[in-house]
Amino acid sequence: MSKTLMILVASTALTAALGVPAWSAMQAPAQGGAAALLATLADSGDTAARLILVDDDEDDDDDEGGSVGRRKSDDDDEGEDDDDDDDCEDDAGSCGAGTPAAAPAGSVAPPQNGLFGTGTPQVQVK
Amino acid sequence: MMKSFLAVLALTTALGFPAAAMAKPVTLTTTLKDYGGNGAYLAIYVTDKSGAYAGSLWMAGSKTKYYKHLANWYQATGGDTGQINGITGASVGAGRTLEITLDLKDALFDAGYTLHVDGAVEDMRDSANDVKVPLTTAGAGKPVKGRRYVSTLTYGM
Repeated sequence: MSKTLMILVASTALTAALGVPAWSAMQAPAQGGAAALLATLADSGDTAARLILVDDDEDDDDDEGGSVGRRKSDDDDEGEDDDDDDDCEDDAGSCGAGTPAAAPAGSVAPPQNGLFGTGTPQVQVK
Repeated sequence: MMKSFLAVLALTTALGFPAAAMAKPVTLTTTLKDYGGNGAYLAIYVTDKSGAYAGSLWMAGSKTKYYKHLANWYQATGGDTGQINGITGASVGAGRTLEITLDLKDALFDAGYTLHVDGAVEDMRDSANDVKVPLTTAGAGKPVKGRRYVSTLTYGM
């Protein structure tokens, strides 16, 4: 009988030892502080806590070549122009790069780089 | 009066003839492959025997924001459009042939100079040194194959 009583007391003491700290922890968020902050961040209903998209590049084929224009395909490269639908559709002009466009052939003499004579360049596309 | 006029005429002719003889028309014919994309930007330029950039001969494509994709040319020039004033035309469509006739100095040939073509096409790979060919009189008229966008390039004198 005393043995049964001893086991009962021991199990009660063990339950109390484990349960009291656990119960205290469950009540802590309501008291503020760092635990309250963590609870706020974890709350999906709170509009202040937003998901931040770190990288929208879903490509995984990172090769050595770049490309002109958009980056929509798996052909990842070093192309950085993701919009060709801008206001630079006329195929003539600097298009916002901050660099003035080159003078078209025939409008000015070729550059004085020591390669050209005095003739005017002639061009045709067939 | 007549004598002095003739003397001046002879002198200017004598001085002008060597200058004219130092350069000659050279036709660069670049035929593109049917790569199935938009018009190609092509930078055609020359390096000297040490491999240093010597100058540009032609730029096909006028939007400066794409010049960085002409990697080797851009690295050499920093995208300076002063290098291509007066020698810039439209980009070249797939399967088309660009034919340029330029008045080039004789000193460019058989002197260690190399002709380069960098190519770039929207949404496709860049192709630095698509063509790389030494400029020699012996090589004139002989087609050289390109790597990605250029099918062949020929320079003729």
